[in-house]
Parts: sequence; structure tokens; C-alpha cells
Amino acid sequence: MHPTDKDQDFLQLILANKGIMLKICRLYCPDQADREDLTQDIIYQLWRSAERYSKEYRFSTWMYRVALNTAISFYRADRRRTTLPLSPLHLTIEDTADPAGTEKLAGLQHCIQGLKEFDRALILLYFEEKTYQEMAEIMGISETNVATRLSRIKEKIKKCMQIIKE
Amino acid sequence: MDDVELTSLWKQYDQTLERANILNLQSWVLHLQTVELLKTEKAKSRLRSLGSCKKGMILIGILWVAFLIFLLANSIAWSKIFFALSVAAVLGFNIYAVLAYLWHIVLIDEIDNSESLVEVQKKTATLKAATLNSTRILFLQTPFYSTFFWTWQWMKQDPAFWYIAFPVTLLLTAASIWLYRNIDIRNADKRWFRLLFSGKDWKDVIRAMKYLEEIEEYKKDLP
Repeated sequence: MHPTDKDQDFLQLILANKGIMLKICRLYCPDQADREDLTQDIIYQLWRSAERYSKEYRFSTWMYRVALNTAISFYRADRRRTTLPLSPLHLTIEDTADPAGTEKLAGLQHCIQGLKEFDRALILLYFEEKTYQEMAEIMGISETNVATRLSRIKEKIKKCMQIIKE
Repeated sequence: MDDVELTSLWKQYDQTLERANILNLQSWVLHLQTVELLKTEKAKSRLRSLGSCKKGMILIGILWVAFLIFLLANSIAWSKIFFALSVAAVLGFNIYAVLAYLWHIVLIDEIDNSESLVEVQKKTATLKAATLNSTRILFLQTPFYSTFFWTWQWMKQDPAFWYIAFPVTLLLTAASIWLYRNIDIRNADKRWFRLLFSGKDWKDVIRAMKYLEEIEEYKKDLP
């Protein structure tokens, strides 16, 4: 079976945004096997939602929504492995460098993973330099709420990093 | 540590993550057959994730409804009026439950992940929590299990009916109404509630209800 134009477009989309998916997976799944499952889930959900994409929103807003929603639902679910590691349905992620390699980066990862699901999504969007308006659209809360919550989350992370340092 | 330092640290973290690679991504995405297979796999996994509780209840519910319809069809007579009315009431509650559970499955599949995080998570949690609402409604059928053997003759001739059978029905009515009113997340920490809803599937339902409260809290603007 040959890939269609639609498949090629989808592949380009996935390749271009691979980094975002991997970041989201890393923040919601400390375990490598779970991360591989979640990456598959996110790609599948993007594939499934692609037909429903509305130009009303920016493409990045749509993608972050699908990927973060899938990650949060995956994180909250009582997971049972749904794919076989040796089946052709399984994706393999090769982590060439583990952020846990340096003390500070491992600390940052630990502090972000200690946040609640929504806060984790919000700080990721902040670090990805999204505007307050876009963050509010992705999260479904007001811009004022985004600003207040972000400031509190940053304080939490700083305190957590301080504790680790000491 | 200030904001600039925090952002710069994230950038370093970001660079290490960018180096990660998905080995078979291209072949995986381009292989249509694989994607189709994956769809089937995921559809199955979504049904699995609904929990054995919901699926089991649908199956038992359908069998029970079929049995009740059979009973009702064979008892429509004035002499069996209490039996027929009781069966009809129980049947009504059970048809409601089966339809509600089936509707939840349809809705779970229809959730659009491209809506905002708060909306999608709220819809998912609401559907999971809906099992508890259906259960509290089902408790209202309890009194009808004590009325199916009532007869006109028994009422007129045997005082035991008024001393025993009738008070038992009243008691069950009061208990079922009390349960209907009190099965609520506010009582989730009470002993009777934990006894009534023990088991993994119920814990998931209660977790979903608590999550709903968290979501509502998250939507509110902070002072």
C-alpha cells in the first residue's frame, strides 16, 4: 500500500513537531516504556483529530490542545499496556541524552514533574514562549488566571530548586 | 533564582530533549495499514479503559431487562396487578441504567481532544463520575422488590401484611430515598460510603468526581 498525500502531509506535521511531543511525554511520563506508549497515543489522536481541525484557532493551539489533553488523560488513567513491544505497532524512542545527566536539569525536571497536571501544562506553554492569550485558549481559562497561576507556579519551582540545592 | 535563570535552564533542558529520536517514526506514520490496525487497537483499549464495572453492568443489565420484559408480558392481569406494577417499575429503572451506560460509551468516544484542556478533562471526568449518579437512581427501585408479592386478598385478610410487609416497604422506601440524597462526593470519606463503594472501579469513579472539583477550582480566577 502506498502512502497518500494526506499521509505525507501528516508525516511532515509529526516530524516538524516531534520535539514538542517528546517534551510533553517527558513531563508526564518518567518511565521510558510509558513515554513510547504516550507518543503513539498522541500521534494517533492528532491523526484522528486532523479532520476536525478548525482554522478558527492557530495550528499550534490545536496541536498543543490535542497533545496535552492526551498526555493528561494518559497520566490519570490506570494504564495497562495496550501494545506489544515487539509488534510493528510499537514506536521506539532513543534518548541520546538524559536530562537527568546534570544535577540542575534533573532538579528542574523533578520540580516540574511534581506539579499538578494543569500546572505542568501551563509552565510548559510558558517556557515554549506562548502568549498569555494563546495559553488561555489552550487551557480554557482567562488570561488573568493564566498570569496569576504562572507567577505562583514559578515561585513553586524556584522554591523546589532551592530545596534541592540545599 | 530569577525568571531569566529559570528560562535559560529550561532551554538547556529543551536542547537535551531535542536530541531524542523516534527511531521508526517515518515508517510507522506512513504505513497506512499500521495506522488502521492501531485505530482498532486503540478502540479496543478505550473500551477496556471504561472498566469492567461499566461493561459488566451493561451485560447484566441487558439480560435482566430481557428477563423482566418476559415476566411483565406474562403477568398482565388484574389479579397480578402488584406483581406487574413492581416489575414495570424495576424494568423502567433498569432500562434507564442500560441506556445511560450505553450513552456514556458513545460520549466517551465522541470527546474532541482539540477543545481546551479544562473542557476536555471536565467532560471525561463527568462521564466517569456519571456511573455514581446512575447508581444512586437505581437505588430508588429497591422498594419495588418488596411489593411484587402483594395481593388484594392478603391486604384485606391478613393483618401481618400491615404489621410486617407494609412497614418493610416503607422502610426500604425511606432507605432508598436517603441513599439517593446522600450518595454524593461530599460523603465520599464517610465509612458507609466507603463500604458501599469499595473496589477499584468505584475508586476510579470517586477519583473522577474529586478531579471534577479540582477542575472547577482551576477555572476560577485566583485572588
